[in-house]
Amino acid sequence: MSDVTTTPAVLHLNNVSKSFGSNRAVRGVSLSIQSGEVIGLIGENGAGKSTLLKILSGNYRHDEGTIAVNGREVQFRGPADALRVGIGVVHQEQSLFTNLTIAENIEVNTPIGRGGVNRLGLYNWRRLYADAAQALDLIGSHLNPKTRVSDLSFVDRQMVEIARAIRVSAASHTTPLVILDEPTAILERTETAILEREISKLRDIGSVIFVSHRLDEVMRICDRVVVMRDGELIADRAVDDVTEEELFRLMVGRETHAAVRSRRSIDPANSPVISIHDLTRAGSYADVSIDAYPGRILAILGTSGSGRESVARAIFGAEGFDSGSVSVAGYSGRQLSIKKAVALGVGYVPAERKTEGMVGEMPADQNITLTHPGSAALGPFELPRRRLSLARAWFEKLDIRPREPEHMLQDFSGGNQQKVVLAKWLNSAHLKALVLDHPLRGLDPGAAETVNAQIRSVCDEGTAIILIPDTIDEALDIADDIVVMRDGRISGVFDLGHDNPATLDLLERML
Amino acid sequence: MSLKHNRGALVRFAAIAAVAALALAGCTSTASGAGGSSSSGPIAKEDLVLVASVINTTNPYFIANIEGAKALSKKLDIPLEIIDSQGSSQTEISKIQAILAQGKKVVMFVNTVASSDTPTIVDAVKRAGGYVSIWWNKPDNFEPWDSGDNFVAFQKHPGVDSGRCNAQAIGDALGGKGNVIMFPGVQDSTTSQTRVAGFEAEMRENYPGIKILENQPSNWDPQLANQNAKDLIAKYGDQINGVWSADDGMQLGAIQAFDDAGLLDKVKFASDGLYPDTVALMEKGYGNNAIVGETFHRGYMASAIGLYTAYLAATGEIVPSELPKEKRTSFFDIKCVTPETLGDYLKYDTPTAAADFVDQLVEKGPWDTEPATLIGGGGPEVLPKP
Amino acid sequence: MVHKVLSEQGAGGITTTAIRIRESGIERRARFRGLAEPLSLLVALAVLISVFSLLNERFLTASNIQNVLTQSAIPLIVAVGATLVILLGSIDLSVEGVMGATGMTWILLSNNSRGGADLGPWAWVIALGVALLLGVASGLIFTALKVPSFIVTLGMWYVGLGIATMLYGTDLLPRLEDEGLKGWTSRISFGLPNSFWVALLVIGLGILVLRSTRIGRVTLAIGNSETIVRSAGLPAFPVKVAVFAIAAVLSGLGGILATVQLDIGSPTVGSGVLFIVIPAVVIGGTHLAGGKGGILRTVLGVFLLTILNNGLILSGVESSYQSAVTGAILVAAIVFAAWSQRDRLRVAK
Repeated sequence: MSDVTTTPAVLHLNNVSKSFGSNRAVRGVSLSIQSGEVIGLIGENGAGKSTLLKILSGNYRHDEGTIAVNGREVQFRGPADALRVGIGVVHQEQSLFTNLTIAENIEVNTPIGRGGVNRLGLYNWRRLYADAAQALDLIGSHLNPKTRVSDLSFVDRQMVEIARAIRVSAASHTTPLVILDEPTAILERTETAILEREISKLRDIGSVIFVSHRLDEVMRICDRVVVMRDGELIADRAVDDVTEEELFRLMVGRETHAAVRSRRSIDPANSPVISIHDLTRAGSYADVSIDAYPGRILAILGTSGSGRESVARAIFGAEGFDSGSVSVAGYSGRQLSIKKAVALGVGYVPAERKTEGMVGEMPADQNITLTHPGSAALGPFELPRRRLSLARAWFEKLDIRPREPEHMLQDFSGGNQQKVVLAKWLNSAHLKALVLDHPLRGLDPGAAETVNAQIRSVCDEGTAIILIPDTIDEALDIADDIVVMRDGRISGVFDLGHDNPATLDLLERML
Repeated sequence: MSLKHNRGALVRFAAIAAVAALALAGCTSTASGAGGSSSSGPIAKEDLVLVASVINTTNPYFIANIEGAKALSKKLDIPLEIIDSQGSSQTEISKIQAILAQGKKVVMFVNTVASSDTPTIVDAVKRAGGYVSIWWNKPDNFEPWDSGDNFVAFQKHPGVDSGRCNAQAIGDALGGKGNVIMFPGVQDSTTSQTRVAGFEAEMRENYPGIKILENQPSNWDPQLANQNAKDLIAKYGDQINGVWSADDGMQLGAIQAFDDAGLLDKVKFASDGLYPDTVALMEKGYGNNAIVGETFHRGYMASAIGLYTAYLAATGEIVPSELPKEKRTSFFDIKCVTPETLGDYLKYDTPTAAADFVDQLVEKGPWDTEPATLIGGGGPEVLPKP
Repeated sequence: MVHKVLSEQGAGGITTTAIRIRESGIERRARFRGLAEPLSLLVALAVLISVFSLLNERFLTASNIQNVLTQSAIPLIVAVGATLVILLGSIDLSVEGVMGATGMTWILLSNNSRGGADLGPWAWVIALGVALLLGVASGLIFTALKVPSFIVTLGMWYVGLGIATMLYGTDLLPRLEDEGLKGWTSRISFGLPNSFWVALLVIGLGILVLRSTRIGRVTLAIGNSETIVRSAGLPAFPVKVAVFAIAAVLSGLGGILATVQLDIGSPTVGSGVLFIVIPAVVIGGTHLAGGKGGILRTVLGVFLLTILNNGLILSGVESSYQSAVTGAILVAAIVFAAWSQRDRLRVAK
């Protein structure tokens, strides 16, 4: 890196700190990024990554230290300032207007009198569409700029966000610094591959900070990795000098213990808890038959168009189907309602945690007893003290932090929210089956491990688990059975008790 | 933020507490005055306050109510308070209760928003030891003599007469032949119902050549009458020869619609109330003398009569329980006005008219003052048999 | 500098075609949905019109169509503003109060039977200025003090009514004396009533503002997520105030036209308009939560309601049944229009 010293760094942080009251979220972070560099930023939830990003995006003002962009010191008064110097953040929670078109989202910050907005403030739509298409083209996406964002899948939305970040800096003629905040956390495996290619393209026009929980990804994509823990930047390594295990240890502060699961084949004496037969929903999936057995984890793999989420939702009664049958715990009806499914002992952890899985403005303990009050109930009433002690027990068991179940659930971090959602179902005395739709989405490796351990232990107690995993590795790691779906049909079934599919086998059947 | 919220909550709490305290004060301070049906004897004039409660303060009729109350207040030299119900029974009752809670002996005139308000108001006034006359609306089965002396009288101009009067005007103007549309007021209002019944009965009995095409209740709302008139013009076109409205406000809206459609010259109108605006239109002969009939009564007369009756009871000059029934549930004369007789009534709209009427009223008593003399009563208005 | 070059291995080629297929699918679905919603509303309107024209042959005559257009003009003008406000995710209940205050200001400053000043065109300027002030006040209180728009505008409704009542005083009804203006709203020019021309102009401007200006686009964005608007550095605050101001001025314009139409000044000149406008916006398919909807759909909603009222009277439905029938048809129309958005886990609030 000898040429680096001659040009000023794209971004240079010197001793940046930020406190919230007594909580020092970011402590004396110094960091330098050169043009064309891809930096990986990793750390557990709560390590201060988000705060650092919000300082860079102009949402927070730092208390101490200096930030320089292209050698000039800057003070961000708001998000617009950060955009102006070419820092575009692609947030973890997506920041697109879903009701507007792709073009508008990309061009949203175009100032009056420039680009597609004339001096009178009127929009020239043709120009806007053309500019947006050009920005998309830069990153190799051919989405129609007239499409509404609500019609896009997650990966396409990420594309739009990246295009927007680039577009802003192009408008201000600066080298863009694109910050990707866990862009892959919610992506399917194949989609991640596409995104990785786009990031490598970004290298040619600017630099990238890539925040991720997936260490393998970070190793593949980045030039350099920085690790944050407890608000401090504790390591800054070139990827060639470090291993995944080392990064994990730096991040979590302890060793990995990859538990190897012993697997058996399906016991012929057992009958399935959930049995779906020739399930069909027009336009989504067709002729799907799956049996889920007690004490076994069944993972369904597939790309985003495979229909696997719809199948999972049909089992819980959250979506209807056109023909076929679903029988749960011996009950078999044409259409299953959510109410019936719950009564039969089925639990469902949805992918859309914030909107479907939890009531954010309700204390965590009430969330836990929401569906199954368990021992907190006395007839139709709930006893607050019993509820609290019940919740405390779950907090202990699942290591939910902080141990304050009386706090609003929305104030917890993503991983801990997910554990509460899980506890809500585990609190049932007669849980027969659990449908998990992307249970590890957005969780850091430490939290993911606790959740996985819990899933295993529930399974060992005799519950049937149907899992929609984020990655193939996740499936291979935890599942007993793997069903692969492609374009709405089953393209492969594996019993890991005697089959041993390779990643490529599975991938082939998905695509 | 949180401070702001708290302060908002505090203000709200204080307001509620104040209202509750007032209501409570109303109950306790009046409990002593409650003595079954008997009132506590004559009250000295200095302790009295006149109260006039009207439905709103924008309708010319209610403005005239206030005018009459002011004139009487001046004549008797007793302070006056006005209650604006803002078209709501809830507002009306709570404002009345707030005044009663102040502990004064009230002499009250209430133009009730809805018939069903009457028992509540009467009960509250009775417990406070005041005297009240109700105008226009009360339930048919709730009579003054059932609630002792504090409910002095119920008074109104008979709606059947009003309707008949208008029917005659239109029937004669059309030569006994033609088609008529009607705009009643609020559908379940007794006032509107009696006027409609009178109008229809008169047409049925004496003008068999006149056909009522349709009636379209318009809620005493000029804007709504205007729209409904437009729709009926679209529906019947020039088949319409006559238009009746239950009050002049709606008639103004209807006239505007016919004017817009260029039909005003061919259609005859009649309605109740002879609003000053109507007088102006009739004097001008607007739209080929479009308005052929009106009934005459004035809001200031109603409030003056009502308040004065209650005042007499409060001061012991009359004992309500000794009065004949028609002086407790009373009908006052309503005059039929045609363009020819219009001149006779202009004197009642001069700036001193209310004061002049009050002078007469105090001299002749509540039942014998021209032009609003007692013509009957003693029970609910009898509707003509269909 | 160390560059990690990604090899275009395995998945690459396959995924590219997969993306293309998905991209075209996205477009097809979006186009279908864009059509489906207004279409069901148009069908509902068409059914209503054909039923009414079967019941009474006068329903589809030129004179009744002009009548319906006149009646829809004022609600249309007000509804354009209401749509913008609802797209923000807020609501404006002050409509009738603003109409009253503006209408009363205008007639008292114009040639009227009470005499007084006749300011001619300045009467319009001042009256609409009153509306603008009320709107800006609502907008500022709503944005700066973060009071829900529901409460602010409810208060502003009564402030408007109060202003109108104070101006009205206890004098005679002010009647319009200007012969040129009397009946102007329902007079026909180029085949359409004048007031409807005004409404068309307002609708046109409304669509332009919503489609092609920063105010309009940011309005939609705020309706989707105000947090994102702010973090993108867009002007959320001024746009919200501007939208309330626009809505109030349009209500004011409606108030003046209603006064002209009735020929009399009355504080309650706007009575009943709110209960046409808000349902019309909702029936049109604009989400009360904001962000989704549009002005043309609202226009359809207003027509649906106006035609419903007019048609029921023309087809001779007994007046005592009219409100029940109106309600029932309304609910049916909404269910029908919203059918395409149904989903098991969709929550209606």
